[in-house]
Amino acid sequence: MNDSIFTKFLEATKNVFQLMLDLTEFSDSPVEIGSFGSDLDICIGITGDLEGEVIYHFPSETSLNIVKILSGMEFDSIDEFVTSAISEIANIISGNVLTELSKEETNCDLLPPEVKKAEEKDYEIRRACCIVTSVGNVCFDIRLNRAK
Amino acid sequence: MLWKDKYRLGVDVIDAQHKELFMRVDKFLRALRDSTSWEEKVSRVNETLDFMNGYVVEHFRDEEEYQQKIGYPGYKMHKKIHDDMVHYVVKVTTEYKEKGYDEQLMQQFGGRLLAWLINHVAAEDQRISAYARSKGVKSDE
Repeated sequence: MNDSIFTKFLEATKNVFQLMLDLTEFSDSPVEIGSFGSDLDICIGITGDLEGEVIYHFPSETSLNIVKILSGMEFDSIDEFVTSAISEIANIISGNVLTELSKEETNCDLLPPEVKKAEEKDYEIRRACCIVTSVGNVCFDIRLNRAK
Repeated sequence: MLWKDKYRLGVDVIDAQHKELFMRVDKFLRALRDSTSWEEKVSRVNETLDFMNGYVVEHFRDEEEYQQKIGYPGYKMHKKIHDDMVHYVVKVTTEYKEKGYDEQLMQQFGGRLLAWLINHVAAEDQRISAYARSKGVKSDE
């Protein structure tokens, strides 16, 4: 279950980046929990058969490059526009993962994206990874429990 | 310009509408991101916002009619995605006017709209054209 969910998030992130940003080169590596050092943390809550959250970590450079590719305009700081666009991308990735999970009879819903730092708790399913792309790194931290 | 040829569905009427929609969203976003002060650009933002919003509803309706015409099996799900977005657009626009044209709210709206629209056309809408091709529907039907 742990590996399966991790793979779904990894593939969904790559697919969305490929489709929306035309990125084709990716490499990924597991990272130590809590060592992301990012500038924009987007938390997507998950409820249903799985409960918890996924935190997406976007360094500033990555966020600004992504929004530039999407819009064709220059951005020089992480403002409300950039935060909202990146939050929507995190929402899209998570939605695609939930669609895949539903095919295996695991049904969940998403909560609206929030900008926040994660609290440390114990989770049954816990995996983190950084994906290296030509526009910068993006990392995610999966923190889920099976519903009782 | 936001539009890319890879977004084409191969359905002439829908492609023309998508190009128009992207053009209107592009005008709105450029007005929103203009480097002048909010006071200087707010009337242009409001003008392009209204110009875009009306077309969103018109395009969604036409695209849904096309889906029904070709018997697209994902019609109900796709219509719900459209309805949710229209609900969001109406809600934000109403709140924006009630708050006296709040810039922060409009910047948030612009960012979400940009990412949503590109994903929707690049991913969700491509499924319609894949179905149409599989059924041999001609591009001008």
